[in-house]
Amino acid sequence: MSKAPTEVTLPRTTRGKRPVFFDDPSIDQMMTFVIELTTEVAVLRERLDTVERLLDAGVPVTREAIESFQPQAAVNTERDAWRDAYLKRVFRMHPTASAQTSDPERGSSP
Amino acid sequence: MAARAEDIATPNIDELFRPTHDERARQSFVSMLRKHAIIDLRAAVRRHYESEVAPALRARGAEPATWRDIERVMEPDPLHRLYSTLRYNAQEMCYLSVQPAIERALPEMIDLARDLATHNPAGGTLRLNPQFEIPRYLHALDVHLAPGWVTAEHTEDDVAQGAVVGFGGKVFTGQHPYRKRPGVVAESIAHWIQRTRPGFTPRRILDLGTTAGKNLLPYKSAFPQSEAHGIDCGAPVLRYGHALAEHEGIAVHFSQQNAERTDFPDGHFDLIVSSFFLHEIPLKATRNVLRECHRLLSPGGLMVHMELPDASSVSEYDNFFWNWDTHNNNEPFYTNYREQDPLRLCEEAGFLPADAFKLTIPDAASFGEERYARFLKGELPAPPHGSGGWFIFGAERRG
Repeated sequence: MSKAPTEVTLPRTTRGKRPVFFDDPSIDQMMTFVIELTTEVAVLRERLDTVERLLDAGVPVTREAIESFQPQAAVNTERDAWRDAYLKRVFRMHPTASAQTSDPERGSSP
Repeated sequence: MAARAEDIATPNIDELFRPTHDERARQSFVSMLRKHAIIDLRAAVRRHYESEVAPALRARGAEPATWRDIERVMEPDPLHRLYSTLRYNAQEMCYLSVQPAIERALPEMIDLARDLATHNPAGGTLRLNPQFEIPRYLHALDVHLAPGWVTAEHTEDDVAQGAVVGFGGKVFTGQHPYRKRPGVVAESIAHWIQRTRPGFTPRRILDLGTTAGKNLLPYKSAFPQSEAHGIDCGAPVLRYGHALAEHEGIAVHFSQQNAERTDFPDGHFDLIVSSFFLHEIPLKATRNVLRECHRLLSPGGLMVHMELPDASSVSEYDNFFWNWDTHNNNEPFYTNYREQDPLRLCEEAGFLPADAFKLTIPDAASFGEERYARFLKGELPAPPHGSGGWFIFGAERRG
């Protein structure tokens, strides 16, 4: 009866046309790199935060201790605040962008 | 109540999902990224449009009149481009961030779902149709950028897409102020029905496009005496939903069916609901579904769909905002659906115009009872759809 699969690899790409948001599609690709890299930094930062919390608690830092670390609600709140502030720092918009886009010639081009 | 001890012992399929430390960190960050795009940047884009773009165009006598005009003006805008690319990438990452843990858990998940489908400890059922023909509109592309969406099967008795859509959805809503709790739409509609129709006690409830039943289970809590049915085209999501409901100790009858034409008898249901469903299917299918609802409703029965507000119910700017998903979130029928008048659709399906309704109701979890009483008296409007309110439409079937 039990016929569990040995290994399934789920599809990582989506069926359907991918939109292009920038004039040069390379920038769309570059934005994916930037966003993924931003995410990796956040993941690394959270791992460091876990290590620091284990050290604070006097728990020996092992991979096992990191994996089994269960953050309390207050830790999650603190981490959420960091993630939010970090995102706002990284994706800081140029103040001149608004002035550029309110140019009607530019705005009404197809 | 004798079955209670057994219910508690029923394993939870969700608990087989065990992300590593870093996978969890990634999921948490993607939730925040998505919030940044859909809440913070969305507001920033709107402010930018209203305070800079529109006034500059107005000064030249060229203010956009329609949402398509606004789209034309805003598409090349750097802030809108940043918003779009962040939203699109965050959407993809919701699913990408949960897939590795699902791949590891899949053999155990399938075994558990299969076992629960055999024993049905809570008394629900799972009825799949091996000959089922998945409509083309469901497999031509992956809705919501979820690879495989609700129908793809990667192995025998597969539940993977149930987990991908479910856990990806939790990442998606993880930081959304009004969507954190699963089933909030069903809770809100059930609450509205109870407050506006005291004494309404549906014998049978049907949820269309139920996926894993997230917005079906709360109806069983609101109307415990009812028999709950959920249908969907996707077998993996139904298997997953059945396992979840059995764990919860809630008897739900899941079946693989196309909502355009089901195998239930005429007048079988007193309450038919759906959420986030009709805008994903072609207009022709929507018309068929509404006609099917009319056939399936008993006299005195009620149909309530939570949907996107139709174009005439919101501003041109809001239409520009909502219709983004049509091309950028693989929801090709979205704009066309929103251009219809839901009341007219009900009428075309056979409901009397006087029995149809459309309105925005408050989110039950966040609005508060005191304000709800004022909403019911017409003294206080519900917040906009998705920002503390939910847009619904539907009809009663008379006699």
